[in-house]
Amino acid sequence: MAYTVYTASLLKEGLVAYLSIRDGETSWTTDVNRATSTETVDDSILSTEAERSEQENIVVGVYSVEVTRDGDRLVPTENRERIRAGGPTVALPAAKNTTANARVAA
Amino acid sequence: MYQYSQADHQLLLERVTQFRDQVSRRLKGELSEDEFKQQRLRNGLYLQLHAYMLRVAVPYGLLSSEQMRTLAHIARRYDRGYGHFSTRQNIQYNWPKLEEVPEILDALAAVEMHAIQTSGNCIRNTTSDPLAGVARDEVADPRPYCELIRQWSTFHPEFNFLPRKFKIAVSGAIHDRAAVAVHDIGLRLVKNESDELGLEVYVGGGLGRTPMIGKLIREFLPVHDILTYLEAILRVYNQFGRRDNLYKARIKILVHETGEDEFRKQVEAEWENVKASKLRLRDEDIEAISAHFKDPDYEILPDNDADFDNHLITNPEFAKWVDNNLELHKKPGYRIAYLSLKSPDQPPGDVTADQMDAIADLADRYSLGQIRSTHRQNLVLSDVKLTDLFELWEELTKLGLATPNYNHLTDIISCPGMDYCALATARSIPIAQALTDRFESYDYVNDLGDISLNISGCINACGHHHVANIGILGVNKKGVEVYQLTLGGSAREDAAIGKILGPAFTADEIVDAIGEVLEVYLENREDSEEDFLTTYRRIGQSPFKERLYG
Repeated sequence: MAYTVYTASLLKEGLVAYLSIRDGETSWTTDVNRATSTETVDDSILSTEAERSEQENIVVGVYSVEVTRDGDRLVPTENRERIRAGGPTVALPAAKNTTANARVAA
Repeated sequence: MYQYSQADHQLLLERVTQFRDQVSRRLKGELSEDEFKQQRLRNGLYLQLHAYMLRVAVPYGLLSSEQMRTLAHIARRYDRGYGHFSTRQNIQYNWPKLEEVPEILDALAAVEMHAIQTSGNCIRNTTSDPLAGVARDEVADPRPYCELIRQWSTFHPEFNFLPRKFKIAVSGAIHDRAAVAVHDIGLRLVKNESDELGLEVYVGGGLGRTPMIGKLIREFLPVHDILTYLEAILRVYNQFGRRDNLYKARIKILVHETGEDEFRKQVEAEWENVKASKLRLRDEDIEAISAHFKDPDYEILPDNDADFDNHLITNPEFAKWVDNNLELHKKPGYRIAYLSLKSPDQPPGDVTADQMDAIADLADRYSLGQIRSTHRQNLVLSDVKLTDLFELWEELTKLGLATPNYNHLTDIISCPGMDYCALATARSIPIAQALTDRFESYDYVNDLGDISLNISGCINACGHHHVANIGILGVNKKGVEVYQLTLGGSAREDAAIGKILGPAFTADEIVDAIGEVLEVYLENREDSEEDFLTTYRRIGQSPFKERLYG
């Protein structure tokens, strides 16, 4: 089953982030698996919180992403979003031992 | 190379101070993202797929060793230890933090560098021949004219909000190593029958979703008129270029829709208004700028060396590098060395901070302290003594920068693709790496000879696939990355747009498809001297289509 999470870029760092609501506290995490999806929270609440964060200049460019659940993992449906969530699929040049984002399906 | 004046330094300092304030106001929420976006783009700062991306200008591809060390420092201190050289001779950092960008700009300004006008709808960094000033086939050194264009275009108030971005390339040689035909304006230095120096002016070239070869609108423009004529072209474009449709806003569309003859008339008419203005260059203006690019004190050297010859005989790996990665220099006893940024281990165009530092050291030791970047995403040491080449090659080999593949199949131009770019619709780098792995045999690649293979991850064509002998365009088809093949393109003096071969291939199929294309070439070439493009032009698409699609 498909759910929705909210994503954006952190204003200061530019890094990809996902909206997380835990115990009523809103935060942004760079780990898609820690995102809060419509599996547990209503879309209207997620949408409102995401937009509020953008107005408060915490994040830039909020939009929603469709995900599916795979055990503990949230997996974006679209390839582009899987790459965005996991990072480049090639090892960074300065860290040849870096594990590339191998979970991305072609 | 050009040394900044006090006014240049002041201009940069003011710009960094201004941007620091803009960043501060953005972080405090005093500027909205919409307001800030225009400012950050004017300073080369994009927000990409994973992070901010800072594009730093390398004016006409020329770097000092000191500048290269600063680029290394920035990569190490503010990024993730590497940078990426682009097809427009610039360098891009993929992971800077917004709050640290003003510090980066400070570091750049200290070595006379910046990121101004590396984005936005303005005149971008002027590109040129990476062999400028040292090539044997050079008519005249293009660097003084590039520098004049840089000074004219920087913060030009009239051209700061053009309909779309605007790119200029200048070449001074017989052979085009700057892809002038696919720029908004391409300039070629030529001499007339009276041996006077002038320019061929091409307008309306470009790639993207509507690739076009530039039209020759003036066969001979005296060099003194370079800025007045550019001013006239830009004025016509600024006035009549479309602003209603992003995809029809480049000057190539204006030239196409207006018609070459009518566009030429409009430019010539506008030129009448400005040709006698202060922009017209005097001899002393050109001489003053040219003084920055005078030849260094080259030694008088023989053009042969017994030790060099001996290394060629006894060291086959060195001989391969000499065969493929060296060019003759205009001075005897010197050679031009290409540093391949297309090793099997790194994405095309990527350089680590450690490599940058080492390259700077090698430039100081062996090449008069200068480095050039190329539009094929490699680097050049332009003034290496024949007697130093073996030592240089040994050092480059240790650094992974001596892959002997310049202008060969694995010298692949690749855009960052969907691994980094927010606009991309498919990945490019993994395809480039798969091709490099598949065609790792030096003998096979060398037998193929001179050939270009370029990959773009979307129709914007930053990987210049349209002008490759073999072009690959990645697109998204119903959620799957697929790759379209084009054949027959060229970015050189015989510039041509490649033609689509047929239906696209999946990521799993594309490498084999390239293998088949190469086999068709090998089977059909008249002899080993006939390169891929010549064979393709002789036999056409049919044999390739038949092999790939039956």
